[in-house]
Amino acid sequence: MTATDSSQLEPDLHHSVTEPTQHASGTGQNAQSSVVNLESPKPATILPPAAASGSDSSQAIPQERPRAARVAEGTWLGGVCTGLARHLGWPLLAVRVAFVALATFQFIGVIAYGALWLLLPAESTIKAPGLESASRAGMRDQSKPKRRIDWGMLLALIALGVGLLWIVQNTGWGVSSQLFWPVAFACAGAALVWRQADSAQQKRWREEAGGKAWLAPFVARGGWPSLVRVIVGLGLVGAAFGIVLAQRGQISQLPDVMAMTMLALAGVAIVLAPWLHRSRTALNQARAERVRADARADMAAHLHDSVLQTLAMIQRQADDPKAVQQLARRQERELRNWLYGDELHEATLKAGLTAAAVEIEDERGVPVELVTVGDCDTSEPIQALVRAAREAMVNAAKHSGADKIDVYAEVDEDSVEVFVRDRGKGFDVGAVAQDRLGVKGSIIDRMGRHGGTATIRSASGDGTEVRLEIKR
Amino acid sequence: MTETTNQQNSQSAPAERGPYRVVIVDDHAMFRTGVKAEIGRSVAVVGEAADAERAIAVILQAQPDVVLLDVHLPGGGGVEVIRKVHEKNPEQKFLALSVSDAAEDVIGVIRAGARGYVTKSISGTELIDAIRRVAEGDAVFSPRLAGFVLDAFSGSIDLATVDEDLDRLSQREREVLRLIARGYAYKEVAKELFISIKTVETHVSSVLRKLQLSNRHQLTRWATDRRLV
Repeated sequence: MTATDSSQLEPDLHHSVTEPTQHASGTGQNAQSSVVNLESPKPATILPPAAASGSDSSQAIPQERPRAARVAEGTWLGGVCTGLARHLGWPLLAVRVAFVALATFQFIGVIAYGALWLLLPAESTIKAPGLESASRAGMRDQSKPKRRIDWGMLLALIALGVGLLWIVQNTGWGVSSQLFWPVAFACAGAALVWRQADSAQQKRWREEAGGKAWLAPFVARGGWPSLVRVIVGLGLVGAAFGIVLAQRGQISQLPDVMAMTMLALAGVAIVLAPWLHRSRTALNQARAERVRADARADMAAHLHDSVLQTLAMIQRQADDPKAVQQLARRQERELRNWLYGDELHEATLKAGLTAAAVEIEDERGVPVELVTVGDCDTSEPIQALVRAAREAMVNAAKHSGADKIDVYAEVDEDSVEVFVRDRGKGFDVGAVAQDRLGVKGSIIDRMGRHGGTATIRSASGDGTEVRLEIKR
Repeated sequence: MTETTNQQNSQSAPAERGPYRVVIVDDHAMFRTGVKAEIGRSVAVVGEAADAERAIAVILQAQPDVVLLDVHLPGGGGVEVIRKVHEKNPEQKFLALSVSDAAEDVIGVIRAGARGYVTKSISGTELIDAIRRVAEGDAVFSPRLAGFVLDAFSGSIDLATVDEDLDRLSQREREVLRLIARGYAYKEVAKELFISIKTVETHVSSVLRKLQLSNRHQLTRWATDRRLV
């Protein structure tokens, strides 16, 4: 079940990640206008830094396929298959079946899986800075979602694999049985030892092993399970040797052969290990250092651009409570968005509505609460919808006298609905719609021109709700 | 001061039970003081705590009607507090309060057992109203939370994989949530749908229960995946 579920889910996830369309002028203009405001006599509108600093990463994610990495979620073993499936865009089940099939064929699947497990980096998830820091400080729930292993499925797969192996061995296509068991033992042993090298814990081990990463699986304290694993693993490798020699009737030479092999292996290790280790640590350090430096610079720049400016402004306008409140509110929204918010991709409905809401909030000083369900890329009708919604917000802020505007947008498979609501004084729709150009021209007619509809519901004293609907 | 309000309330409205007893859990002392000043007239603040460990002790000892709980908290976050307290006292009611709008945190704390979620910028009267609602056993859905829930329960879920009632919202529940997301108060929702406020509350509580009990793994995946979309 697990496999089918997630593979069914995948296409949906990537479905909406299509290339943003070229006519993104609507949101682009909005973004620009808020930058231009910096020069205006009014308090500076701060450029949303989420867009400034996070833009590189946020744009890279949807357009490129994900890098090959081991995925931690919904995996059976090391997350290699899941990671590969995401990277290649293949169905997960196909990748898993391919590996199992390859495994029956001279163990290529197992070896490839093991190699990828060692080589692929664990998937890194970077969250908004506020969440990252809260996680680090232990202020969030750290317990991982429980891995639900479908034992029945796993058992069936193992049975299938063993059965296939058995058939292959019996039909004589496989490895000769003289080689088979030694190789099987040796592989299992090596895997057990190197299982320790899973990169999630490597860092800790490296510290404990005195910086010698290659020693880590043997030296570091991983508790008794890891000790058992190393012993059993080495034992299995030893057993593999034993079997080969016993099969050749040369059991008496076992100590000699063992000693020779050990010496050879030790030689290779001594030659290679320090070099490997040095280059790896150097690389990692350089990378980590750069990431840290970048993060610090971003943070400093952001604080300077936003909070510092606002604080200065608040001091200057300390005798005007309304202005101070407005400044504080804007700064709070901006900072909160930077710390915890979503990355907004430029040419989407959500981004357009957010920009409009922010603008109204800043210009009119009326808070706009925006809730969106689903999202879609902009197109001409969607832009018209955003402009009409903006006009409705302006009207609500200007005329209704309400202290809050609620905006709700819902994206369906084939249509988009937006509701703009206030609890202000309301008006008589029939009487006013004729002469008020804003409502007639900018909302009703505009929606009509693009094949959409606008319905206005208002009652005196009960507020106004504008409902806009358009086909995608 | 709390005592005087206590008396006033019991004198003026003897039929109703006294002011609700509330514990505030937040690691910012300034925020605790602010909230206390704002709501202290209408509810009795019987305890405060700044981290998870302390909060668990205070809550178990004071047994308040409602705990105002910050989502981010030293010592494992609000989720940890809810879990530990519910081990001892499964009836304890929590109202989550946060500056973070991160969907995964909001849904996480609700799934852990909070009966509602509001942002810290909520006004005093609205907060008092929310406390009352939670104390009376109802759920508090802000427009934002309603949006998250609609998002989580909609769209990319294949109906064939939905095998339990828990994994689906009924038509009526969806309507109620949509109105809440549009900024309607419970009262207005009731009027709009020609049903009683009590029915609205029942629907919302039912949605809360589904959110907490559904073990559809898409729901947890949703929180992480939505960042890709």
